[in-house]
Amino acid sequence: MSTAERTAELTLPQASERRGPRRRRLGDTWWRHVIAVVAIVIALFPIAYVVSAAFNADSSLSGSALIPRHVTLDNFRELFFGQKKSVGHATFQNAHYGNWFLNSMVVAGATALLTVLLSALAAYAFSRFRFRGRRFGMVALLLIQMFPQLLAVVAIYLIVFNAGEVFHFIGLNTLTALILVYLGGAMGVNTWLMKGFFDTIPKELDESARVDGATPAQVFWGVILPLAAPVLAVIALISFITTLNDFAIASVILQTQHKLTLPVGLQQYIDQKYSEHWGPFAAGVLIAAVPAALLFAATQRYIVQGLTSGAVKG
Amino acid sequence: MIKIVLLSIVNAVAVWAAIVLADHHKWRAVAVLVLVTVVIDFIYLTNRWTLPLKFLVPGTVFLLAFQAIPVVYTINVAFTNYSTGHILSHSEAVSAIKQNSLSEPANGASYTIAPARDSSATFLLILQNESGETFVGTKDGLKPIPRTDVTVSDGEITKARGYKILQGAELATLDKQLSSFTVPVGAGKAIQPQGFDTAVVLEPTLRYDAQRDSFVRISDGAVYRNNGLGSYVAANHTELEPGWKTYIGVRNFSRILHSKLIRSPFLKVFAWTLFFATSVVFVSFAIGLLLAVTLNKPGMALLRTYRSLLVIPYAVPAFLSLLVWQGLLNDDFGVVNQLFHINIPWLFDPWWARVSVIFVSVWLTVPYFFLVSLGALQSIPGELIEAARVDGAGARQVFRKVTLPLLLVAVAPLMIASFAFNFNNFNNIYLLTQGGPAMPNSPIAGATDILISYTYKIAFAAGKGQDYGLATAIGIIIFFVVATISAISFSRTKALENLA
Repeated sequence: MSTAERTAELTLPQASERRGPRRRRLGDTWWRHVIAVVAIVIALFPIAYVVSAAFNADSSLSGSALIPRHVTLDNFRELFFGQKKSVGHATFQNAHYGNWFLNSMVVAGATALLTVLLSALAAYAFSRFRFRGRRFGMVALLLIQMFPQLLAVVAIYLIVFNAGEVFHFIGLNTLTALILVYLGGAMGVNTWLMKGFFDTIPKELDESARVDGATPAQVFWGVILPLAAPVLAVIALISFITTLNDFAIASVILQTQHKLTLPVGLQQYIDQKYSEHWGPFAAGVLIAAVPAALLFAATQRYIVQGLTSGAVKG
Repeated sequence: MIKIVLLSIVNAVAVWAAIVLADHHKWRAVAVLVLVTVVIDFIYLTNRWTLPLKFLVPGTVFLLAFQAIPVVYTINVAFTNYSTGHILSHSEAVSAIKQNSLSEPANGASYTIAPARDSSATFLLILQNESGETFVGTKDGLKPIPRTDVTVSDGEITKARGYKILQGAELATLDKQLSSFTVPVGAGKAIQPQGFDTAVVLEPTLRYDAQRDSFVRISDGAVYRNNGLGSYVAANHTELEPGWKTYIGVRNFSRILHSKLIRSPFLKVFAWTLFFATSVVFVSFAIGLLLAVTLNKPGMALLRTYRSLLVIPYAVPAFLSLLVWQGLLNDDFGVVNQLFHINIPWLFDPWWARVSVIFVSVWLTVPYFFLVSLGALQSIPGELIEAARVDGAGARQVFRKVTLPLLLVAVAPLMIASFAFNFNNFNNIYLLTQGGPAMPNSPIAGATDILISYTYKIAFAAGKGQDYGLATAIGIIIFFVVATISAISFSRTKALENLA
């Protein structure tokens, strides 16, 4: 009998002893249920309301009840194909929601993918090579990240404006400019996180690959990246959500209706016009929440682990 | 192989970009571009010591272009008067002032005109003065042409040999170009079209003295001197429009301290920012911890269901939740008021708006602290709690003396990070209240504005004038506040130990 089994045998009775008094106090958990239910009602109340409003035939905010009397898909139709009935406001006759959604997906998707690639490349160098300036480089990354792009939004606006004077495709009101700007924040914390993960991948793996004649680039693509898939997924998700959420920089760079991203578009759509646009707005919120929620569900396991190391929004 | 292809593409793009830049006479940009391209080529074509750089360069290029350079540029702009009315360069401003000073004298000459194009399609004017002489007017000046070349009928110029007179629809599209078109006629005077068929001679009311860098009003000799801050100012403090962009030292920073119009809202906004970030972090942590303790009960029924339901708001992008809350809190139609049959102006009264902003931010942040606290609670070794119990500590004592201190070790750095995050939580403010309602004594700041949204509004708020200099100066102040917090947080978390 091994020591491990012996300890297991020894601890077993203890565990059953512990369970005894807990059973007796089962009645004590009622207050836990009360707190949990109250918290869940507060947490889910806005979400339930949006779902209900999205399918409610009465699309005005004032007439909406939590359980819709008439269920309809009109709100979704209005979102994509414009208003059927005129409500008096001519400004949002044209539906741009489809554009906003696509723009957001393109910008957030491209930013997430390229962010992962750029920071993985850098993390590989910091993890596997020893070179002069390595320490300095890592500290510099951390320090420069302390000046968030949000604070430099005026300078970013002026830079993009001036770039656009010469190259229109990276000027104001282009998605390319927005993606490029977001990529400026690609390194930094992400590189640190990935470097930490790469360090846990045994060096023997890439060394044996090197012995077999693989170049450093082949080791990176063939050995490190596949093994680092979980951390890549998490960083892609974080980057996707952060980019999706950005209002300030997007609102400054993008200008015309069909170029906007979801935060800017929806904010302008709903601004001061809640009463009329509530139904379609709720439908828009519902659709916009889907991609992020799916990604979140797919990577939830890793996210919750990563939370305790302080890597995620909060 | 792929490397060569990619590198060729980079070089091709660089060459093309260099040509375009040269075409715009941006020589400094060309130099930088060429230098960067050569360095990149060198790094990827050398095989020895540049190996780490090959992996570092791609991200670094973006980091420099859109993170480092904006930081440098921000610092640069903070020391200028860059703002509405001070956008142009000095020489552009001088010519704009000269242009603006042109006005029609009492007995000025007038011309009959016709907009036209010459054989190379250049826009110009055909003119006839009051004594019948005919001219061609371009932006370089007036040139006489033989009277016989021009056909005039009913006081209208209808034909001119060698030129195409513009008519109808084409004319209408040129309205803007026409109204800004002037023909210089010497001594600072200029002919300017007044509509499509007449033009008048305008005379300058100001004379520019290049030697003293000042403008003199011709009518009374009043002098407008360069005040060194980007404006020409007379002895009676009147200014000429427009000014120009120039360095003004630390004046943006001293304005924050001394200008009444800025200092009072700035201090209020600063205080509110601190209060907002602190209260959101502490209230969220308290509620998150309460929920974590509540649901840290192995064997409790529905435990997993509760936990996953509580985390749902975390999976919804925050901007959506914020916009939804803005609707729910609407005072006229909002569900919150209707549900409880109350009539509270949640977002339009200064104090209620502050309450709402904190409430919604807490709503958004609680799931995070719930997850974090739950993780931390579960990682506390059971033996420690067991030992305290054995020593006779009650449940409350165990929590206060054992659980909480151990939990704080893990959570405190995250609270500091969350503070720094909320300190600049632009979305939570702007998507709920846009910083409003407005403060009574400030044209820009609102009751719920935090520093970053205040900065954004100073720089981009439409209709109120844009002050890039002041906005960047405040941005730098925010940076120092956040940097201090981060420095404390780093020294606590010992993140730098990871450097080994």
